[in-house]
Amino acid sequence: MTQQNRLQSGGRIDRSKPLTFTYNGKQFSGFQGDTLASAMLANGIDVVGRSFKYSRPRGIVACGAEEPNAVLQLGATEATQVPNVRATQQELFNGLVSASTNGWPSVDNDVMGLMGKVGGSMMPPGFYYKTFMFPQSLWDTYESMIRKAAGLGRSPLESDPDTYDNVNQHCDVMIVGAGPAGLAAALTAARGGARVIIADEQNEFGGSLLNTKETLDGKPAAEWVNAVVAELATFEDVMMLPRSTVNGYHDHNFVTIHERCTDHLADIAPVNQARQKLHRVRAKWVVLATGAHERPLVFSNNDVPGCMVSNAVSTYINRYGVVPGNELVLMTTNDYGYQAALDWDDAGRKVVAIVDTRASGCGARAEEARKRGLNIITGSAVIEVQGSKRVSGVSVAAISADGGKVIGSVTKLKTDTVASSGGWSPVIHLSSHTGSRPTWDDKIVGFVPGPTVQKQLTAGGINGQYDTAVALKQGFDAGQKALTETGLSAAEVVLPKAETLKSDTPMTLFHIPHIKPTSAAPKQFVDYQTDVTAAGIEVACREGYESIEHVKRYTAMGFGTDQGKLGNINGMAVAAKALNKTIPETGTTIFRPNYTPISFGAIAGRNCGSLFDPERYSAMHKWHVEHGAKFEDVGQWKRPWYFPQGNETMQESLDRECLAVRDSVGILDASTLGKIDVQGKDAREFLGRVYSNAWAKLAVGKCRYGLMCGEDGMVFDDGVSACLGDNHFVMTTTTGGAARVLEWLEIYHQTEWPELEVYFNTVTDHWSTLTISGPNSRKLLSELTDYDLSNDNFKFMDWKQMKVAGVPARVFRISFTGELSFEINVQANYGTHVWEKLFEAGKKYNLTPYGTETMHILRAEKGFIIAGQDTDGSVHPYDLGMGWCVSNQKPFSYIGKRGMNREDCVRPNRKQLVGLKTKDPKAVIPEGAQAVLDPKAPIPMPMEGHVTSSYWSANLGHSIAMGFIKGGLDKMGETVFYPLADGTVIEAEICSPIFLDPKGERQNV
Amino acid sequence: MSDLNVMTPAEIAATKAAVMDQVPGPEIQGQSPLHHADLESLAKQGPKTGGVHLREHKLLGHLTLRCNPENADQLAAVERVLGVALPLQPLTSAENGDYSIRWMSPDEWLILVPGLEAFDIESKFRDEMGGHYSLVNSSGGSTVLELSGTDVVELLKKCIPIDLHSKHFPVGKVVSTVFSKSTAIVRRTGEQRFELIIRRSFADYIWLWLQDASREFGLVIEA
Repeated sequence: MTQQNRLQSGGRIDRSKPLTFTYNGKQFSGFQGDTLASAMLANGIDVVGRSFKYSRPRGIVACGAEEPNAVLQLGATEATQVPNVRATQQELFNGLVSASTNGWPSVDNDVMGLMGKVGGSMMPPGFYYKTFMFPQSLWDTYESMIRKAAGLGRSPLESDPDTYDNVNQHCDVMIVGAGPAGLAAALTAARGGARVIIADEQNEFGGSLLNTKETLDGKPAAEWVNAVVAELATFEDVMMLPRSTVNGYHDHNFVTIHERCTDHLADIAPVNQARQKLHRVRAKWVVLATGAHERPLVFSNNDVPGCMVSNAVSTYINRYGVVPGNELVLMTTNDYGYQAALDWDDAGRKVVAIVDTRASGCGARAEEARKRGLNIITGSAVIEVQGSKRVSGVSVAAISADGGKVIGSVTKLKTDTVASSGGWSPVIHLSSHTGSRPTWDDKIVGFVPGPTVQKQLTAGGINGQYDTAVALKQGFDAGQKALTETGLSAAEVVLPKAETLKSDTPMTLFHIPHIKPTSAAPKQFVDYQTDVTAAGIEVACREGYESIEHVKRYTAMGFGTDQGKLGNINGMAVAAKALNKTIPETGTTIFRPNYTPISFGAIAGRNCGSLFDPERYSAMHKWHVEHGAKFEDVGQWKRPWYFPQGNETMQESLDRECLAVRDSVGILDASTLGKIDVQGKDAREFLGRVYSNAWAKLAVGKCRYGLMCGEDGMVFDDGVSACLGDNHFVMTTTTGGAARVLEWLEIYHQTEWPELEVYFNTVTDHWSTLTISGPNSRKLLSELTDYDLSNDNFKFMDWKQMKVAGVPARVFRISFTGELSFEINVQANYGTHVWEKLFEAGKKYNLTPYGTETMHILRAEKGFIIAGQDTDGSVHPYDLGMGWCVSNQKPFSYIGKRGMNREDCVRPNRKQLVGLKTKDPKAVIPEGAQAVLDPKAPIPMPMEGHVTSSYWSANLGHSIAMGFIKGGLDKMGETVFYPLADGTVIEAEICSPIFLDPKGERQNV
Repeated sequence: MSDLNVMTPAEIAATKAAVMDQVPGPEIQGQSPLHHADLESLAKQGPKTGGVHLREHKLLGHLTLRCNPENADQLAAVERVLGVALPLQPLTSAENGDYSIRWMSPDEWLILVPGLEAFDIESKFRDEMGGHYSLVNSSGGSTVLELSGTDVVELLKKCIPIDLHSKHFPVGKVVSTVFSKSTAIVRRTGEQRFELIIRRSFADYIWLWLQDASREFGLVIEA
């Protein structure tokens, strides 16, 4: 296909490098250096989508991040689909595949076009609020209808093949924008020795200088840009990031940059390269040189393809060598706007008319236009556009001096392109991100950044300063200020001489009047992406929405993926007029991150797949994997859950593991339990204060179980601590509670009892803990050690130092199963060695590895609690029937003592932990089941408690359960009922939670 | 005096803390936290050139000392045992031959010594140092990775949030910081050389992360 709108020469494209691309299934060609938008315009593609609400054809209106219409779906394959790509920011590459996202079955010829007219009346302003609030149940239906009609792009159905990185950066000066102001700031800061990062969303540096025919020092501006970029590249401490949008400006000068590393190369990134990066920058100073966006004017049918902002027209001509039409009518309120007509004329195409809303224009550009003999119509406006899929003509009429009404007769002009300029809106988005409210500046007819608490400087267009000379100077000043503020010395920079064009006073005008009132005039669009019209805003104001924030939400103005970059100020002006207020009185909505949409991939970085979250492994993890363990997540740990053999079901594995422990011997990897080394002369006292029970008399060589409570008296962790030396203890915690307990100890030591001489250190990872449990555990251990393991020499709750399988070990004779047990602790580097030696010696005892599930069953048979399963932060030791683990004889006190003696904690009828024996021995009550006294009571039944632990016990041949029952400790032998969701009821008797060996003889042998 | 079981009450009272030689004889090989990765084989078979080099310094003695930096007697005892003073300046480190000390917090230092010397050094501390302090052997709980090469800084920028510019992170500086979603103690040992001390249970995660993050630079395993 020919590129009918391409100029023979000029622009920054490389005509020797032709590229082909696909749009809506058809192939087109463009050149290296094109954006997708410029290539589409070159090929005369007018319609790029259908509008959200009215399904009107829409074309490209702008040339950058502010583009509301050309929001396309990209991707050659299912896996590489990318929604919401602004064609104006997507560089063209060979083989690019794009499609419009709205318009079904096609943007040019669609069913929705007809329905749109119906849809429009179905969707008045406030549509969401009026229609969708009721009935709530229909929201799903509404949503799918809207999505289909609006077509906001779609996410891929397959996994993204690309990778993305998060990168941390630091600098003295972060410069946002590489136009004249940003480049001057960067050059200054770099020469002064600062660490500089300069980022720009475009593919090359230069900003506005890339789009114009301006000169610097009498030479094309691009030459100065090239020289600066070349010099910046020589500084080791300068990082230049093109194709990088500064998307968020957060507290403390934390800035996030979205760099598109390979989006300009191909559909998929080259091997081993990240497609995009999210730079997380911590900057001492931030210089915002973000420039400004031109505002279109609001007039009837201003959305017909062919209507553009005037600066975009200039940019397509000057930068891309594309004239987006044959005939131009330009409407402007200011002298800058004339430039589009001059550029159009230079390109050799017809300027039908320049319509200046002012009585006269006397700036340099207006004078040039007059000199060239272009048709200038003053004191008038384009009040309406004709055409549907492309502009075919305009209606021009004289308007009053204040722009409030049409005063003359209507003349029709034939044209296919309408450019409009209502002045410029500084890009204040980033400065608003940190909470700074923008301030209205009457002189520049726009909002500028307001006061800020950040170390932030601004330069150029963002300040409403559009002269290149002023932008350069402000950039230089910002660079110097950043240098002095960071303690560096000022730098020598000679700024190039810019042309200064005589300007004149712009007219403050946003909304062009029509001969009919706004409500009756053809639609005058304010926000293209969300289809908000001037009439819609007037309706909102009439209905009583006076706050601009409410108007925004009521009309959906600024809700699109473009965040209303083009339309917001116009919308505020329309609202202000309707409310009979000034714009500063009406105020502005502010922007939040991100400035432009960002891919989820860039946010996630490499935190996905196997790197999503750390998996913590014990030293014996490889053995567990090799022996077929099923794993359970406990915090970040992977703990063996059970070890199935052959075709065993889970229950069969558990039964086998449970029986093996009670009949002979089993082994558990208990290395994940938290272990905290406690040293210092006050270690014992400290333990006494953080545990509810007594520690004063625990002798060296002894172990003791402890309960840890919060200030409220509620149990939050438990474990066994051993006295290693008079000033030395090792505390164990639950696997999930380790970090929290260590923090708890440090907080209390540092804030409450700094006078206690004690230090805490984590040794969780240092020790491997191998627990052998069962009647044959002593025999097994004796095969690997010479130490005297007899009951006389090594008593229950003692710990001893010995060599096990040649490895020095601390062995604790403690038990969580109720069986004779030894917990062998060795330095983790030797864990696997000892583990394997135990299996070599254990073959004859049928040594059976067991996991957490079997551990849970075995301890439940003994009525031992698990903190976090049988406790939930609302139970104190007495509720658990563990009053034996509370000492009220301590001279100081302990955490939780006052809490557990509060009125509510000592009242009768608290929920208490009891055992539950089902009437049907085979019935296992689901954990969480609620207890009632009368299963036939009317719903809602009074609930008496719930089940916390419930299992099938192979050892006992019946189910066992523990749970809470109101006043349960006094209700032994009484019956409770558990009605289940399926209508059945399980009947159970309240009993002691100790189902096996109530006297504890088995662990004492 | 190491075996608490045979210590007399007087000996126990003298130490107040249990010290144990935790390393078995040379006939039993220890397994570092990255044992399963078999770095030796990777070093032999893997690429020999790349922007990032990784070497594990395994089975070293890791001792955490907590004491009072204002106690001159304790400071002197450290010098007697290690032949080098405790670094008191935050985020710095000190070395004496095979012994190296990292400042971890105002009252905490991490000391690395050859693996077989850990018990010896621990015992010397118990002999030489008085007053309130704690010394904990954590050798089994962590391992040391040395990262070097032309792209090592670029690699670490993807892992830790710390400013690695040599003005801010000169040779000898040490920080304890987040490493992606885990933690690491990071010390600069050369312009393009860093030491990472990582926890055993997170070692595999960090190893996976490093392999992934270094893909664009090329990873060379050294052993």
